[in-house]
Amino acid sequence: MNWSAVKPYLQVAKNTWNNALTYRINVLMWRFRMVLQLLATYFLWLAVIPSNKTVLGYSQSAMLTYVLASAVVSAIVFSSLVGEVGEEINKGDLSNYLLKPVNYFAYWLARDAGDKAMNICFAVIEITLIILFLRPPVFLQANVLFIVLSIVAIIMAILLYFLMNFLLGLIGFWSSEVWAPRFIFFTVYAFFSGGIFPLDILPKQFFIFFQLLPFPYLLYFPIKLYLGQLSILEIILGFLASAAWLVLLYKILQWGWKKGLKQYTAQGR
Amino acid sequence: MRKYFKVWWLLTIKGTQIALSSRMGAILFLIGKLLRLSFFVSLIVLIAARTNVIAGYTLWQMIFFYLTFNVIDTLAQLLLREVYEFHYNITSGYFDNYIVKPINPLFRALFGGSDILDVPVLLLLVFATIFAAFYIGYISVAGIIIYFLLLVNSMLIALAFHIGVLCLGILTTEIDNAIMFYRDLTQMGRMPIDIYKEPLRGLITFIVPVGIMMTFPVKALLGLLSWWIIALSFCIGIVLFLLSLWFWNYALRFYTSASS
Repeated sequence: MNWSAVKPYLQVAKNTWNNALTYRINVLMWRFRMVLQLLATYFLWLAVIPSNKTVLGYSQSAMLTYVLASAVVSAIVFSSLVGEVGEEINKGDLSNYLLKPVNYFAYWLARDAGDKAMNICFAVIEITLIILFLRPPVFLQANVLFIVLSIVAIIMAILLYFLMNFLLGLIGFWSSEVWAPRFIFFTVYAFFSGGIFPLDILPKQFFIFFQLLPFPYLLYFPIKLYLGQLSILEIILGFLASAAWLVLLYKILQWGWKKGLKQYTAQGR
Repeated sequence: MRKYFKVWWLLTIKGTQIALSSRMGAILFLIGKLLRLSFFVSLIVLIAARTNVIAGYTLWQMIFFYLTFNVIDTLAQLLLREVYEFHYNITSGYFDNYIVKPINPLFRALFGGSDILDVPVLLLLVFATIFAAFYIGYISVAGIIIYFLLLVNSMLIALAFHIGVLCLGILTTEIDNAIMFYRDLTQMGRMPIDIYKEPLRGLITFIVPVGIMMTFPVKALLGLLSWWIIALSFCIGIVLFLLSLWFWNYALRFYTSASS
C-alpha cells in the first residue's frame, strides 16, 4: 500500500471528527434526535406485540432486537456527509477539489469515515444505556458465520448508500434543485430500507417487489442476516442483488460524473 | 394588528414567489410530503389489520390520532416556517435588520412568511381528519368544542417551543439541529402517548408536553379526559407561552450582532 497516497485522506477523516467535536451541542442534539426516533419506534412495537404473542410473524423479543439493531446499523450506514456534494457543485466549490491532487470520491469516503466513526461511538453508548435502562429481551447472535456475513452486508450497504447519495448530488451539475429529490429519497429509504419496520411484514407481493429495489440492502438485509432469519437461498440472492446494485450504481456514477464535468461551469465562483 | 397582518401577507406572497420559482422543486417537495403521509397511514392500517387494537384504540381511532398530529404539525410548519432560517440570520448578523425596523422582531422571526407548499397538504389532512371522525365512535358536541380549544392550546405550545428555539439561536450559534430536535420530539406524538411506558409517558406529557399537544385533543374528543386534566392542559399551555416570552426577552440581551 502506498502510505503517502493514503495519508491525506486519513487527515481528512480526522478533520471531520475534529470538526464535529468543535460543534459539540450540535452533535449532542443530533444524537439525541436519533435516540428519540429509536424510542418512538421501540415503544410502538412494544405496544403492538404483547410479550407472549407473535404478531406479523415476529415475537416481541425478535422485533425489539430488530429495532435496536437497526439503530446501530443506521448509525453506520446512514451517517454520511455526501449530501453536501450537490451544494458544492451548485456553488462552484467543486473547482477547489478539481485543482488539487485529490480524488474527489476518496475525499468524500474519508469524510464519511470520520463522520461514521463519531456516530458509531455515540450509537454504541446510546444502545448500551437503552439496554441497561429498558432491559429489552434482546437476542444476541452466537453464530460467528452470521456475524461475519452481516458485517460484509453492512460494508456493502455503506458503499450502496454512498453511491446513491453521490448520484443525487450529481443533479447539481444540471439543476440548482438538489434538495427536493433528496427529500423524496429520504422519505422513500426511511420506509423501504426497513428502519421503521422489517419489510417481511408487508404483503408478499409488495415484499418481493421491494426486494428488487436497492433500499432493503441498506438495513433490512444486514439485520436479518445478523438475526439468522434468512435461508441459504435468500442469503445468496440478497448478496447477488446487493452486488448487482453496487455495480450498476457505480457505472451510472462514473457516466454521470464524466457527463457532469463537461457541463460544469464553476458558476458561483 | 392590521399592520402585522399586512406584513405577514406581503412576506407570504414573496415567500410563495420564491417557493414557486422552481416549480419542479415545489412539486417534488409536495410529492415527498404526501408520500410520507401515505406510507405511515399504510403502516398503521397494516399493523391494525393484524392486531385489531393498538394500546386499546381501534384502527380508525389510531388514524384519527395520526391525522390530528399531522394537522397540528403541518399548521405549525406553515405558519412558523421562518424559524428554520433564524440560525443563518443570527450567525450572519442579518437579525440587525429585524431589530431596527418598527415591527416586533419576535413577530418577524416567527411569522416571516408562510410556506405555500404546506397548504394543499393541510387541506387534504383536514378533509381526511373530518372523514375519519365519522368512524371513531360516538362524539359529543362538547367533545368537538373541547377538541378545537385543545387544538388552539396545541398551537400555543408549538409557538412556545418555536420561541424557545429562537432563544437558543441567540444564546448559542450551535443549534442547527434545535428545530429538528423539536420536530423529532413532537414525532413521538404521532401515536397516542399511551403506548409509551412510565416514566417516559409522564415526561412527554407534562414536562415536555408533546402529549398535551398531540394526544389530548383526540382523547378529549373521545371523552377519555377528565375536566381537571383538560384545565391543567390549558394552564400548561399558557404558562409555557408566557415562559417562552420571558426567555425571549432574556435571550435578546445576549445578541451580539456577530458578522454584521
